[in-house]
Amino acid sequence: MYIRNLWSKVFILLIAVALIAGFFSIAGAATIKIGSLNDMTGATSDVGKDYALGISEAIRYINDTGGINGKQIKLYQFDYGYRIPEALTKYNLFKRLKCVAILGWGTGDTEALAPTVARDKIPYVSASYSGHLCKPEKTPYNLFFATDYSTQSRGLITAWFDKKWPQKPDYGKRKPRIAMCYMSASPFSSSSIKAAKEQAEMLGFEIGPDQDVSLYAIDTKSQILALKEFKPDVLLHTNTVMSVAATLRDSYALGLGADNLIKCWGYDENLPKLAGRAAEGAIGCAPWAFFGMDVPLMDKVVEYAKKYNPGIPMEKRTVHTVQAWASALGLAEALKRADKAGDLSGEGILKKGFETMKDFEIGLGIAPATFTATDHRSQSEAKIYEYKNGKFSLLDEVDLKKRWPDKWANEWLGW
Amino acid sequence: MNKTSKILSILSFIVIAALLFGCAGMMVKPTEKNFNNPVITLNHVEIPYYTGYYYFSKKVKPTKGTAGDYGAPMSMAFIFDIENPNEYPIQLDGFKFSVNFEEFEVNTVNSPENMWIPAGKTNQIRVPAMFDTRQTLLTLLLPGAMKLSEKKISPWQALEKWWTGAPDFSFPVYVKEGAAIFQAGALTKVVSFNATFP
Repeated sequence: MYIRNLWSKVFILLIAVALIAGFFSIAGAATIKIGSLNDMTGATSDVGKDYALGISEAIRYINDTGGINGKQIKLYQFDYGYRIPEALTKYNLFKRLKCVAILGWGTGDTEALAPTVARDKIPYVSASYSGHLCKPEKTPYNLFFATDYSTQSRGLITAWFDKKWPQKPDYGKRKPRIAMCYMSASPFSSSSIKAAKEQAEMLGFEIGPDQDVSLYAIDTKSQILALKEFKPDVLLHTNTVMSVAATLRDSYALGLGADNLIKCWGYDENLPKLAGRAAEGAIGCAPWAFFGMDVPLMDKVVEYAKKYNPGIPMEKRTVHTVQAWASALGLAEALKRADKAGDLSGEGILKKGFETMKDFEIGLGIAPATFTATDHRSQSEAKIYEYKNGKFSLLDEVDLKKRWPDKWANEWLGW
Repeated sequence: MNKTSKILSILSFIVIAALLFGCAGMMVKPTEKNFNNPVITLNHVEIPYYTGYYYFSKKVKPTKGTAGDYGAPMSMAFIFDIENPNEYPIQLDGFKFSVNFEEFEVNTVNSPENMWIPAGKTNQIRVPAMFDTRQTLLTLLLPGAMKLSEKKISPWQALEKWWTGAPDFSFPVYVKEGAAIFQAGALTKVVSFNATFP
């Protein structure tokens, strides 16, 4: 009787210890699931791989620094190779896995999934910065932490008009001349052309004939020769870096003599490598600092790149890693706010997370982010860099909202 | 009687606690100092799915289904040995690498599954990688275009060589920029690796 009593006590003690240990292991295992769609093998893998690496490194950093109010992020990262049917398949997988938000990639997946994420109320933070994704009444669950393409193009033209045109010999004698080089069939390349033309007209430019440059072009001589007659002072390029580099090279070789303005995806650390001397003086919009620049948090970006991908030389890392960090950190902030408000539903993340951000500072050289229920343009400021003497330097910061408040509020949203 | 019961209860508790702590104490605790990098070796590469070399553009009307740019699929499986030289188990928490056909990077593979590797043992991991001639063509047209131009070969020549030569591995397949993430206690360690096959 006595022995039985003793062992029952020991047994109860062990059960209690097991229960407490079990409870703590469950409490410690709290996670928030996030999906990430990336292109590491497809047509945009030249920039997509670096972005994908940046996403996984940034999530490691977020988890190492406390996660989402103590909850760890479980990242499900997949390469969809820029194949849209596969993006849809992976999206369904994310839903089955109960991911609360998705870090998406380019125009292809973002456009294809926009109606679905709106219906399912799943926040989709992508690296497609098309202006028409900024109007919540049309695409409420599409968000990004960058200057949208239209604002980039308007900012580039304005910065050139302010800083470069007055230095030209013909300044004050005639209108400046601009022409645009892009792939007309590509929604990505052509998305900001309407805004760019409107901005150029507003500033009094003469606009030359558009040049259709394929994203796969490595020879653009015919397009450059077609522009010779128009004699542009400046070209706007909205393609990705390889065809932009080809256009710069041919323009330089054929002596076109125009300056070059380049949207973010055509303006990275690979441009000077591909275009050589023709990249000298190229002006581009980069909403984030270039990899390794001296800005807040860049030390962590570099540290995590070295730690988690030691086999990739640092000189191969680019601004696209920094972009990815911006997306991941921005989403993490929205999750923290929504979690604090006790609502990690898709709608909660949108309304109690993203749309409560007002001048939120991420670091990494990014302009402060603001989202409202009626406007998802996170930034009104276009950061304009110039590549000179082997490095990228900040040339201008054009805040379109401050400069044209009425147009910003009433005319430019959503295109 | 009651007093003896109490004494025995306390003694039992002390013995159990001592046993538990003793077991824990026998395990070597992972530290920066005693952690040895696991050894990652490419055992071999297999081709589990192969349909030959072809490419259909969207101009070709399919027998069924919708027209499109379709490439010949080819699946490769990369089998690695991961040896844990430590006196404690370690957890593989991430495994990725790039695949090059000759000097062209054609794929980046990520294996998200976790696995425990016992102390002093070697585990195997099989990482599948999917290729098709459409996908690789796009890779060659953008990231690889300049290199192709320098070598004065067309993307089609490269594709045909690789898709017809793959069954015999008549060209080198490189594993590059590999990174394996390991967890051991509070330690996180990343080991880089490269390999060539055959």
